[in-house]
Amino acid sequence: MPTSDLIAEPVAIEACDCLTPLGDAAATCAALLAGRSALQPQPVQGAGGGDLVPLALCSPMAETVPPRWLPFVRQLAARLPDAGWGRPGRPVFVTSSNFGVGSLHAFVRDGDASHLPYGVPHRAVEFLTRELGWGPEVFVLSHACVSAHLGVLLATRHLHAGLADRALVFSFDFLSPFVTGGFHSLKILNAGFPAPYAVRETGSIGLGDGTAFAVLARTGGRARIAAQAVYNEMFHFTSNRPDGTGFADCIRPLVPLLAGRRPWIKGHGTGTLEAGRLEAAAFAQLLPGAPLVSWKGALGHTLGSCGLVELALALAARDAGRIPGTIGSTAPVFSPAVALASFAAADHDTALLASNAFGGAHAALLLDHG
Amino acid sequence: MVERYLHALQLADAGEETPEQTRERLKAQFPRNAVRRMTQLGLLVGSVLHELPLAESDAVVYASTYAETRALEDYLASFPTPSPALFQTSIHPSAVEQALIARTQPVRWFVPLSGGARLARQALVTALLLPAARVVLVGGEERGTWLRERNLASERSFAFACFLTAEPAGALARLALETGEAPDAPADTAALQAALRDRTPLTFPAAPGRRLQLDWLP
Repeated sequence: MPTSDLIAEPVAIEACDCLTPLGDAAATCAALLAGRSALQPQPVQGAGGGDLVPLALCSPMAETVPPRWLPFVRQLAARLPDAGWGRPGRPVFVTSSNFGVGSLHAFVRDGDASHLPYGVPHRAVEFLTRELGWGPEVFVLSHACVSAHLGVLLATRHLHAGLADRALVFSFDFLSPFVTGGFHSLKILNAGFPAPYAVRETGSIGLGDGTAFAVLARTGGRARIAAQAVYNEMFHFTSNRPDGTGFADCIRPLVPLLAGRRPWIKGHGTGTLEAGRLEAAAFAQLLPGAPLVSWKGALGHTLGSCGLVELALALAARDAGRIPGTIGSTAPVFSPAVALASFAAADHDTALLASNAFGGAHAALLLDHG
Repeated sequence: MVERYLHALQLADAGEETPEQTRERLKAQFPRNAVRRMTQLGLLVGSVLHELPLAESDAVVYASTYAETRALEDYLASFPTPSPALFQTSIHPSAVEQALIARTQPVRWFVPLSGGARLARQALVTALLLPAARVVLVGGEERGTWLRERNLASERSFAFACFLTAEPAGALARLALETGEAPDAPADTAALQAALRDRTPLTFPAAPGRRLQLDWLP
């Protein structure tokens, strides 16, 4: 296969939805348009206490048996079309950053071995597979906060290679002291609330629960992913190349496909200062004039599920006729393109949806919604 | 037909070696300021990738069921004052990132897979599907301590890596998606390591009417 900088095979979205603390995709989108935030000050280690940090939770951050994420993924999965998922020709691509790792933290803290079956990725997914009645054709992808994008990408390749006629991408990431404690130790999860792309003294992120799915097929559907691209800087674990070229190297292959289009951009936009500045600059350079938004100021960063949660929200925004603005942020911002208020979906026909991750990983897709 | 040819196979088997023993044995292959922070799996993955000069245009497919077991164990032990270094090191694809960040080697395509009994097949299929002329298939596991005792980590530490390209000349094996059926055959990363070491052919179902075939060449 010749080398390409992008996946240019279009793929149809037959169904897509998400669940956040604000509800399903339609309800969450409506809340964002109303300027609501799900972030609340919460002890960083849950019942273990600690500093108050902004978290958006579907339920209290307690490690339970079975894990607290189960009812929410069940609730979302009830909206899936019945298609023999996990059987030959109908693969499932499960993506997460943390899977059930919070259960290991509970075991270490309490010594209760009933937490252990959910603690490592493939065991958590095997549990999920049994609970949801899927067959064994289940891929497990774990690339931190670009995991969901990789699930979409690999599902696309399976469809176009004739290995699947429909594919399900399913993402979930629910917070636990394991992950909130980790981000707090890195000092980017702190007492401040996130203000993506805002010029401030100190950067802050919020974290949130999220789960989402997309049913993909070669043709048909309610919308179309036109192309996808990824790029991995491998410069530093937790920072990007200072010149910002990693952001540009990811989206540059997609730019020619936007000639004559009217795009808007959903950036990664967690609220960290340096990454936000570099991301906004890259978009301003390569796609001047395209409005840029982030929704993590309201939902927090839903980690390995963010790419799919935000895809579902972009589709819901298209259906609602308005694209939510960057909640939590106020001027001054890093780029004039940063949209603080909502805007009309009809003024645009394409969305560029981007996510980033540890290791300088970048991922982006083009969503046709005209 | 979708096919690639296997070249430059690299295997590392540290068995029940401790991380300190592995670090001492392999430290000359890595920058001094990086090696002290690398995990055992990072060292092993780095050592097999050491012989494979990567390019930015390459695709990297990474397969590991348990990934950074020791960093995970140590990070959990660091509570209630969690360690930032161990948090970032404990993420799944950290072993490959340790190796490539030490070389500041960017790659466009990087697909880290977890999974259990079907991970070998899934990694091989993924390597056939990525849009790169050269794919690096890399994988491995790290022997755990208390997680291993609870069957939540690998018994052994090992790593493997190879190139998969369109070039048949000098190839060790051929990997292809072919027409036909195959019986289901579970194979995890340890089984894939053994097949690569012993040059055992592999056949897996890939989709209705399609099978994945790894054949070793004379």
